[in-house]
Amino acid sequence: MDVIQALEEALNKNSILSSEEACRPYECDGLSAYRQKPLAVALPEDIDEVKQVLKICKAHDTPVITRGSGTGLAGGTLPLENSVILGLSKLNKIIHVDPLQRTAIVQPGVRNIQVSDAAAKYNLYYAPDPSSQVACSIGGNVAENSGGVHCLKYGLTVHNVTSLTVLDMNGETIIFDEKDDGIDLLALLNGSEGLLGVIVEIKLKLIPKPEAAQLVMAAFNSVKACADAVTNVLKQGIVPAGLEMMDKFSIQAAEDFAQVGYPVDAAALLLCEVDGSHDQVKVDAKRVADILTENGAYEIRVSQNEKERIELWQGRKNAFPAVGRYSPDYYCMDGTIPRSRLAYVLEEIDHLSEKYGLKVANVFHAGDGNLHPLIMYDANKPGELEETEKFGQEILKLCVDVGGTITGEHGVGVEKLDSMCHQYPEAELEIFHGIKAVFDNSGLLNPGKAIPTLHRCAELSHMHVHNNQLPHPELERF
Amino acid sequence: MSMQSSISHYSDQIKQAVVDKQLLQIAGNQSKVPVDDDAQLLSISDHSGIVSYDPAELVVTVKAGTKLSELSAVLAENNQMLGFEPPEYGNSTIGGTYACSLTGPSRPFRGGLRDFVLGTQLIDGQGREMRFGGKMLKNVAGYDVSRMLCGSKGSLALVTELSLKVLPLLEEKTYCIPMPEGEAILLMNKMQGTSLPLTGCAYFEGQFYYRVAGEHPTQDNRVEVSACSNAVWKTLNPFQPTLAPGEKLWRLDVESTNPAIENTIAVGMGGTRRWVASKNKPNHPYVTLWQSRFAPRNNDKPCVQKIKAGLKEVFDPHHIFKDL
Repeated sequence: MDVIQALEEALNKNSILSSEEACRPYECDGLSAYRQKPLAVALPEDIDEVKQVLKICKAHDTPVITRGSGTGLAGGTLPLENSVILGLSKLNKIIHVDPLQRTAIVQPGVRNIQVSDAAAKYNLYYAPDPSSQVACSIGGNVAENSGGVHCLKYGLTVHNVTSLTVLDMNGETIIFDEKDDGIDLLALLNGSEGLLGVIVEIKLKLIPKPEAAQLVMAAFNSVKACADAVTNVLKQGIVPAGLEMMDKFSIQAAEDFAQVGYPVDAAALLLCEVDGSHDQVKVDAKRVADILTENGAYEIRVSQNEKERIELWQGRKNAFPAVGRYSPDYYCMDGTIPRSRLAYVLEEIDHLSEKYGLKVANVFHAGDGNLHPLIMYDANKPGELEETEKFGQEILKLCVDVGGTITGEHGVGVEKLDSMCHQYPEAELEIFHGIKAVFDNSGLLNPGKAIPTLHRCAELSHMHVHNNQLPHPELERF
Repeated sequence: MSMQSSISHYSDQIKQAVVDKQLLQIAGNQSKVPVDDDAQLLSISDHSGIVSYDPAELVVTVKAGTKLSELSAVLAENNQMLGFEPPEYGNSTIGGTYACSLTGPSRPFRGGLRDFVLGTQLIDGQGREMRFGGKMLKNVAGYDVSRMLCGSKGSLALVTELSLKVLPLLEEKTYCIPMPEGEAILLMNKMQGTSLPLTGCAYFEGQFYYRVAGEHPTQDNRVEVSACSNAVWKTLNPFQPTLAPGEKLWRLDVESTNPAIENTIAVGMGGTRRWVASKNKPNHPYVTLWQSRFAPRNNDKPCVQKIKAGLKEVFDPHHIFKDL
């Protein structure tokens, strides 16, 4: 009996997809440039069925790729030809919301926004808000340690998860809880991209909705002035709930799309939101506006009511689709850099843009240094995707070179495997592979993602060349 | 000694220990854990000082042997602080605090120590120098080894440097209301569901204490509420009560709404931390005997024990670092 037959026998037949047509939606995730039909897709309805899928795949030595809503941007759930996609979208129940304890226990297929919706009647919400929050699943959020526009103040997924129930490849249950003693395995599971276990239940922190929020919009004549202004806001002890910066091209695109009155002549636009108690917000909004003015903002708007605040956000929130209108395809990058190097990095990206002949729009989570350059290309032009990828890799290399990282919140997936070679030397990569083997000795959980093999890195010429020594001299080269 | 040479010195010492099959116990200023006779001391207390600090980036990088008091003073000069309120046991180092994953009363509100860790430089049990994470507030490249090692008590690697997120220093005010423990637990949970900017909630000696940061509505206009000193948070962190003969101090980690537990002498961290003074071990899943501070609970389920044993092989295959 092959693995598909075994799965069909164990689960409801409708829960196993294997035809070309039925599998098509699972060929890719949010990184649609990469596609592969899996052997089959299993859509279990409860934890027992998930266990059965794992046991069957283990017995058939078949790789398992766990998938939530498929909104990931790094190809983390790209199928392998011989793999089973373990889709957890039917595990979509909010098991319990405890308003007094301010926690929610949810299944992995629950969408991010559903948690906040369920908590709203208690005046609570779930803080991490990736821009895909209407669609992305909590299980996927944990796997990627997703962020959002509010994470400078409210943290990433890892800061808001208090317990995880995980299955290993044998279908055995392991619970990781913040109350556990010793090393922090709960932290390790966050952002592990489906390589260490299958998350089947999650306990989340809920926090009270802020009493008030106000948005300050400021226009600057230069990127540098804008970055310096951000620096001074943070230096003076204000931690804004949101701090978003856009470059000239993004401002224009967002304004054309949303028509919210962004100053299209500005070189850089800053959106700074403060939240908290009414008293605190009043004080902070004024201080922010003053600091930004002192630092060269030539136009300032402060939202005077909720309607205005939400409207001002609309441009930024739609920046990606807005940019998308200018180009058949765009490629979203996710590097993180020290804020002090922003002006330099944007200048270098401009040079690269000229070199490759591809336009770029930049949006920047200025509070935490997370840069999202959007490279515009046309997939129908032969070779343009490849050029775009090269361009993207050069941007990530630039991020590492200024002391940053190749991914702030999207994850490595398949997309950034080569860039990982630039960020991490051999010993660290060995440790990563060691950790993987401890959790998944069979190597069947999402193999080939997140951590590049040492051979892959050795084959790349842009590896660390230290003291003129060839990296990985012990490895064969093909 | 330059940073690099001092790092190589540690690395050499570890490599030599592998050759000699010599067990090493990593320690800072030994403010929390004494060094046992069965191990050779590997001290990081001389590896001290701030490596880099740009207040506007909200990140400090510091050598592991740096005293908490020294680090906090430098941050305070820039109106910043460590957000996790580490307990001061006397010359405590940041490295030791990280190794024991110690956090103060603000944990439910601002996060625990692990929530502020961004990156580490370390030497593994083979003497290999490595870096994990970085200085970025957001970084999801590779497994989060820097956070994972919080609480590893020197059993997996010698952590030589840490990058931590820092927060603005805030003006805080403490208020108290006399009430029984059970009522205090209920009230602190209710208050944490409101938009009051809380940074601490505790129950101690018949009083419910809460701490508020920044602008907030006047609290002491109600008869039962009094303003009181911020000192109570130092009493509770580190909590070092005088016990009756034969009694032991137990640290319990519970859900914030857990009802009052017998023999509790203090409730901290918004209700999630209970301190119990009793002869016998309280019947509870997450209990640590705090007498021998930082003694492991050793109550991991077999599957978790297996993972921890596996990670030991990855980081310290020759078992050079003493397990605490």
